[in-house]
Amino acid sequence: MDATSSTTKSIFPAQEAQVSQRDLDWAVVQKVQSGNVGAFDQLVQKYREQIFSVVYNMTSNREDASDLTQDAFIKAFQAIGRFQGKSSFFTWLYRIAINSTMTFLKKRNRRRFISYENINEEVSSSEIFERLTAKNQSEKGALISELQEKLNDALQKLSLKHRTVVILHEIEGLEHAEIAEITKTSVGTVRSRLHYAKHQLQAYLKDYIG
Amino acid sequence: MPKLTKEHQEEVKVEDLLRLKRMERPDDAFWGKFDRELHQRMLQTLVKKDPLYVQVFRALSGRFAQSSAVACAALFIAMMVVRPAFVGTGVTDFNVAETETTVSAPVLAVEMAMSDLDEAALNGQRDYQIDRISTETDTADAAFTRDFGMDGFELALGSADYSADVAASRPAFGSTSVASLVY
Repeated sequence: MDATSSTTKSIFPAQEAQVSQRDLDWAVVQKVQSGNVGAFDQLVQKYREQIFSVVYNMTSNREDASDLTQDAFIKAFQAIGRFQGKSSFFTWLYRIAINSTMTFLKKRNRRRFISYENINEEVSSSEIFERLTAKNQSEKGALISELQEKLNDALQKLSLKHRTVVILHEIEGLEHAEIAEITKTSVGTVRSRLHYAKHQLQAYLKDYIG
Repeated sequence: MPKLTKEHQEEVKVEDLLRLKRMERPDDAFWGKFDRELHQRMLQTLVKKDPLYVQVFRALSGRFAQSSAVACAALFIAMMVVRPAFVGTGVTDFNVAETETTVSAPVLAVEMAMSDLDEAALNGQRDYQIDRISTETDTADAAFTRDFGMDGFELALGSADYSADVAASRPAFGSTSVASLVY
């Protein structure tokens, strides 16, 4: 998309941006397919944090998440020759990462090693956290740790399918249609899973949301 | 656990709490290590050769798998089309084959035997009529195709033999009504 069209007002700006991203990614993918292996690094830099975030929230383990994110990129790199651009690269990469993570978690079964990522400093200054700690500034640090633990515990209690949908929508901010494409389900199924998952989470986190 | 007031608890939703998880982000040192490890692994992937069976499988799995699937489907359809034809014609084929083997020789033999029967040979005792059995006339006059055979044919040569007159034939032959003796 050129500069002129990008500045034009559109009824669906999000969709236009998405199409533009898809075209940009496809151009890079074609470079890699034609032998420019180094171009793949652009895709890594662009998506590593999003992929890591999904995997981390699914596993609640930063080391596992790191390994699985690397695995996802390596699998994508190995299979990029067969990528035909029917879906966006981003959807395809998410699907690889989620499938790998699900396989990993099914194998890991009941063994759970929790290792959390450090919560960024901006949490403590966030509006939501301000609301949570409005009355008690002195216990801020304790509340952050406790909330992090409770949130991760609550997510881990959800089934893999429900956890995936709630992470992709509520944490990653993906649209229902995008999640449906990634998980190869219908939009109705995504909505249904999301509704159920949030209902479950409300029960697990009732101490915080009343 | 620090308890929140009811007023503030009501303001917080599940979505708000989940949004906090967006802030669990690794630092720059983590990404530095991540990039180094990933590059190493990608280089290993480029250098490392897959085992022979993996290469063969990968080479064949694309087009070979597709063509195999098409071939299997075609074979299956062919089996489904041809098999009912076998089942439906199985008995008929058997009868036709059996009939065909018995058609030619016996009919010709009967015709030859009839031509040899003259009045002198029978000593004037003939009190019955002999219908000549001929394959040519029968097939020419009748509007049917000769698709039968005769297992046996006996002639009565005297009045004592009348009761033994039999035009023995198989049940399938009866419907054609070609050979008959009229007394």
